[in-house]
Amino acid sequence: MASFDVMPEVQLFQPAELDDALKLADELGSDGWLLGGGQDTYGWLKDRAKQPRAMIDLNGIEALQGIRKTDDGMEIGAATILRDIIRNEDINRDYSLLSQAASRVASPQIRNVGTLGGNLSQDTRCWYYRRGLDCYRAGGNICYADGPQSMNREHAVIGASRCVAVSPSDTATALLALDATMVAENTEGQRVLAAEDFFVGPNTHITQMTALKPGEILSAIRIPKKWASQRFYWEKVADRDVWDFALVSIAVSMAMDGNKIADSRFVCGGVACTPHRLTNVEQAVRGRTLSNESADAVAPLASEGCKPLNYNHFKLPLMENLVRRAMRG
Amino acid sequence: MDIATYKDDVWGQEVLNGVSWDLLWLVIVLAFIFIAGHAIYETTRKRAQKPSSKGARVNRHEAIDRLFHWVMAGSVFVLLITGIFPIIGLNFAWLEIHWIAGIILTIVVVFHILRSFTQDLSSMALGPSDLKEALDETVKPGKYSPAQKSMHMVVSILTLLVIGSGLIMFLQIETPWWERPNSLSEATLGLVFFVHGISTLGLIGVICLHIYFGLRPEKLFYTRSMIKGWISREELNAHHDQQRWNPDETT
Repeated sequence: MASFDVMPEVQLFQPAELDDALKLADELGSDGWLLGGGQDTYGWLKDRAKQPRAMIDLNGIEALQGIRKTDDGMEIGAATILRDIIRNEDINRDYSLLSQAASRVASPQIRNVGTLGGNLSQDTRCWYYRRGLDCYRAGGNICYADGPQSMNREHAVIGASRCVAVSPSDTATALLALDATMVAENTEGQRVLAAEDFFVGPNTHITQMTALKPGEILSAIRIPKKWASQRFYWEKVADRDVWDFALVSIAVSMAMDGNKIADSRFVCGGVACTPHRLTNVEQAVRGRTLSNESADAVAPLASEGCKPLNYNHFKLPLMENLVRRAMRG
Repeated sequence: MDIATYKDDVWGQEVLNGVSWDLLWLVIVLAFIFIAGHAIYETTRKRAQKPSSKGARVNRHEAIDRLFHWVMAGSVFVLLITGIFPIIGLNFAWLEIHWIAGIILTIVVVFHILRSFTQDLSSMALGPSDLKEALDETVKPGKYSPAQKSMHMVVSILTLLVIGSGLIMFLQIETPWWERPNSLSEATLGLVFFVHGISTLGLIGVICLHIYFGLRPEKLFYTRSMIKGWISREELNAHHDQQRWNPDETT
């Protein structure tokens, strides 16, 4: 693949109103590119691996900014930068799971410009795909990462269907564990999607990571009160402690009844094309206390159903150990 | 409009990627133009009186053959829905349903081929006499008309192509029985995808025509026979040469 020092020429729109952005997104369809913080975008464009006709910069739209309290919890504009989420008092008090996850995204410089919407909608980091190879995800008919000699250390251990790429988003796991909903708008109205439905796997749509359709803009993320101020656990294992994508991460919300777990969400990142809910663990921990015994009892469930590739068997004990650590109390 | 799509393989060489799905709309439009043209032609044509379905009945299709036909039709519809809907933007988890339906289709087609050796193969074989029947309305066919034989032949070729290429593709994905082997080169994979796609497009066109002719008023008795098994003696006399096909009466 050729390398380039400069960005390609691309038309740039900087709408100030959401309606204008929606009209542009509608007109441009799949030829348009929604620009948040640009931290995923610029690499694609510089390498010419994606060549949109025009970019729609969403950062000047006030309606997409800010963190608001609502009757049912909290609403965060999709173009809100991660730094603001990390520093927000309400989020730190009620939904510290999200601020912890956001604080582990990339580096401080990237968190200063990277948006929540961008972090959720970013494309996978599979290097075969990002190098511009015509794999399944790019419209081809083969997965380069799933072969006997393929470098697939970072790839999926569950939920793969032809493509074995994983979701790289740190905030996605936290939002799934908080039962968040995503507001997707287009010129005809809006759709509110559960976080679980927002992220799509290759069995449903092999060329997309989210359920956003061409012409749609993720405008806000809503977090319900249900999990406010509950017990949370977040951990990310990466090759480097700063500026790296998760090998495996875990986001856990637990509603306690006395010292017993009444309800919970266990979500793993870095193991599937979407944030992966450990529903069997959630069922197994119901009624248990946080203890080493409980941890040892439920941890093996975390990797049930996983099918590692050649170089990522290590992810299975990582998943189990992250569950174990979340359950120790 | 392209017939095929191409991509660069891992070595940077241009190879076939598959069929261009823009052709889907061309196939559908052409099928409907033909159907509209034929329907107009048929309404302007003088028609002989429709024979009665009452009275004595003769057996046209055995129950087992009717079952084969409808299982095949069902699996083909499932295959088309699961194969085409995601291409036109209706996304759902289609792959498992698709290959399960493909296995069912393969089994019933193999059954049909084996069973055909116990049947009168010549009744479905196209020959020079069929040309005479096609050009002269006074010459009546045996069990199957030239149009039915032609339809069967085209469907057979396309179905065998789609099954053959589909089985190769099936062997390349992970299933409960094997891991993904990655055993084909990208150029070969592209060819297989192309054959699968182009034969699917052909089948879509042919199926449109098959359904249309199956629902035409003067052909409806054939569809009934594929459901109930019989046609009336009067329908037999009107449309078939009993020297060449003289089936048993049924109750």
